[in-house]
Amino acid sequence: MKEFRPRIVVFACNWCTYAALDLAGTSRMKYPTNFLVVKEMCSGRVDPQYVLEAFRRGADGVIVAGCHPGDCHYIEGNYKTLRRMTLLKKLLEEFGIEKERFRLEWISASEADRFVEVANEMYEKIKNLGPLKIEIEGGR
Amino acid sequence: MSEELRIGVYVCHCGTNIAGVVNVKDVVEYAKTLPNVVVAKEYVFMCSAPGQQIIKEDIKNFKLNRVVVAACSPSLHEPTFRTATAEGGLNPYLFEMANIREHCSWVHPDEKEVATTKAKLLVKMAVAKASLLEPLSEIKFKVNNTALIIGGGVSGLAAARDLAARGIKTYLIDRSPTLGGRAARLGKLTYTEMKGIDVFKGLIRDVAGNRLIDVYTNTELVSVDGSVGNFKVKLVKNPRYVDAKCNLCGECAKVCPVEVPDEFEFGMSKRKAIYLPFKDAYPRIYVIDMKSCTRCLECVKVCPVGAINLNEKPSELTINVGGIIVAAGYDPYEPKTGEYGYKLSNKVITLFQLERLLDSEGPTKGELIVNGVKPKNIVFVMCVGSLSTTPDAYPYCSRMCCSSTIKNALVLREKYPDTNIYIAYKDVRTYGRGDEQLYMKAGENFVRFAKFKDAPKINIDQKGNLSVTLFEETLQEEITIPTDLVVLVVGMTPPRDIDKVRTTIKIGCGPEGFLREAHLKLRPVETATDGVYLAGAVTGPKNIIESIASGSAAASRTLALLSKEEVAVEPLIAVVNEDICSGCAICVAMCPYGAISLKIIDKNIRVAKVDSALCKGCGTCAAACPSGAMQQYGFKDAQIKAQVIAAMGEV
Repeated sequence: MKEFRPRIVVFACNWCTYAALDLAGTSRMKYPTNFLVVKEMCSGRVDPQYVLEAFRRGADGVIVAGCHPGDCHYIEGNYKTLRRMTLLKKLLEEFGIEKERFRLEWISASEADRFVEVANEMYEKIKNLGPLKIEIEGGR
Repeated sequence: MSEELRIGVYVCHCGTNIAGVVNVKDVVEYAKTLPNVVVAKEYVFMCSAPGQQIIKEDIKNFKLNRVVVAACSPSLHEPTFRTATAEGGLNPYLFEMANIREHCSWVHPDEKEVATTKAKLLVKMAVAKASLLEPLSEIKFKVNNTALIIGGGVSGLAAARDLAARGIKTYLIDRSPTLGGRAARLGKLTYTEMKGIDVFKGLIRDVAGNRLIDVYTNTELVSVDGSVGNFKVKLVKNPRYVDAKCNLCGECAKVCPVEVPDEFEFGMSKRKAIYLPFKDAYPRIYVIDMKSCTRCLECVKVCPVGAINLNEKPSELTINVGGIIVAAGYDPYEPKTGEYGYKLSNKVITLFQLERLLDSEGPTKGELIVNGVKPKNIVFVMCVGSLSTTPDAYPYCSRMCCSSTIKNALVLREKYPDTNIYIAYKDVRTYGRGDEQLYMKAGENFVRFAKFKDAPKINIDQKGNLSVTLFEETLQEEITIPTDLVVLVVGMTPPRDIDKVRTTIKIGCGPEGFLREAHLKLRPVETATDGVYLAGAVTGPKNIIESIASGSAAASRTLALLSKEEVAVEPLIAVVNEDICSGCAICVAMCPYGAISLKIIDKNIRVAKVDSALCKGCGTCAAACPSGAMQQYGFKDAQIKAQVIAAMGEV
């Protein structure tokens, strides 16, 4: 059987987390493959529907990440993200999606090591969980 | 869109940076199989001139209407490829980038096969988004070439001077009744014979009477509307109660029966309710402090020129400016009652009070007299309120205080050779020009230094005698120094009420409350809000030299904006589909910039309306919209979802 490699979608804001991922690259850090980044200008742009869409299409995990509270490039977008994602977390559990599969993280442009830490941790946990146990659009 | 999609995909080797890990040939072959891709190529350096030429030629030869480059991070070369796309004859916003270097080859060097798979997925995602991109054009606005400076301390004055020197009409406002800020109150400055007041006078020479600079004192900010290049600013001018007819005769102050602590002298002497803030105040007009005034009208009776009007009311005024400089300065750290004995004994004073005592124009005419006597033993306690010395202290270093303390110790040593001077310090950071020599000189002149780690204790006995106890780190033992005067070397804190200005103009702040630069190193005097600049200690502790330099720097950045006819902003802003907008106004409350309002279209139907001059393109309104009517150009729901869907499946 083929080795299970979780595929994880990362919704990253342009100013902090996307830059942190760039820094991880320029610093030649290593983290597991198959973290696929979708860039937004602000984590406040992430409609909770996108997260649901990602799971529906077969993502094994989703990370929504932005600037630390107080550091938002758009003053307070990340507070809105916090409110929305807190609610979404509850919804995901109702859907039977394990809480390990979804993370909201504050990762500043200088915290490449934090992203690597989150990525390693999440990858391991999801690997142990196995593929998402819900029906996905278009089959697996 | 009826037009047939024709996408070109270009995969960069970046020398071996990408090609050393990712199998580029494989990625190119894969790209050719993606929907609507008509050409896919590889090249060693796509960002090079020949690399860009490939894109330009292919746009013509293959009639491309979308371009995807898989290379480094868009933060590096997105502008390069957008330009190449435009030069090839396509709208620059029909370009999309896949980051297969920072996000792929550099982080997965040991997993060539899976890295190649990931690169394919990233290209697939970029192609999916590119298919849904729309042509966009930059938004342009005319620039109003006038400036507003908030704060009339040395940095604000320097900025006003420099802007006016370049012919820019400038409004300079300060909420206090005089310009001068904090620096005007300082005594002799380090490494020069100048006093703080001399620096102020040097700057005011170019500002006072300058026909390009309008000074408004006693004036506060009410609101700021508009955006870069076109701000509409409302100000309120609080009454001074004395007009420009004032001839400084001072008769009014003589008859005024009210005495209050003089803030210019840090409360060490009294002033009347009608007063001149200080000898060289600007404007040089008396002012009435209405909080203390009893309206006895004695001053009105004696004023020989009829300059006093107690019925003056606050007046609002509106100005239009293109750029704003915030130079709101700082406040000295105010120790709590009892902190290091502060306010428990009048023999415990702050460094700022000492500066006034040692100033020949100060309350004691430059003599060190505390409680009517000349202190024989003096202990300075450094880092009060800084470097986390106490639980309430700020964690940062206030930078100016070490040199300032040593300077004052040397002034005391020269003036009173028989005093014993001790400096209790946590760390000595004399980084300014000549300051290290001052430190050495202090040592040579028997100023004694005692190093502490934990904050010293100030003991006050029943007779009111003072001593300072600390664990001396070099001796490794506890010592107690009896003293007649304790000088608390207080640091710098963000100005009180700065949050009001900060939230009105919408500027970020750091954990301590100082205003935040757009980029600490690359854009140190700009804010994340375009057209708003920062000068002086409002971004963190600075000495006079640094404050004036940053005032000039802020003026220079402001000029870069104001010397333009027009400003262009990226068009990645919010847009409403009026056909499906229900006018629920959820987006209106979401917008941090007040860019969204409701408009009535036809028969009481309300829809959201985005002011493109105000929208900064964060997209939080679009995420909140329940119907999908609110979208963001470049980040539409369909474009993002296409990327998410493309991230799945086998490749």
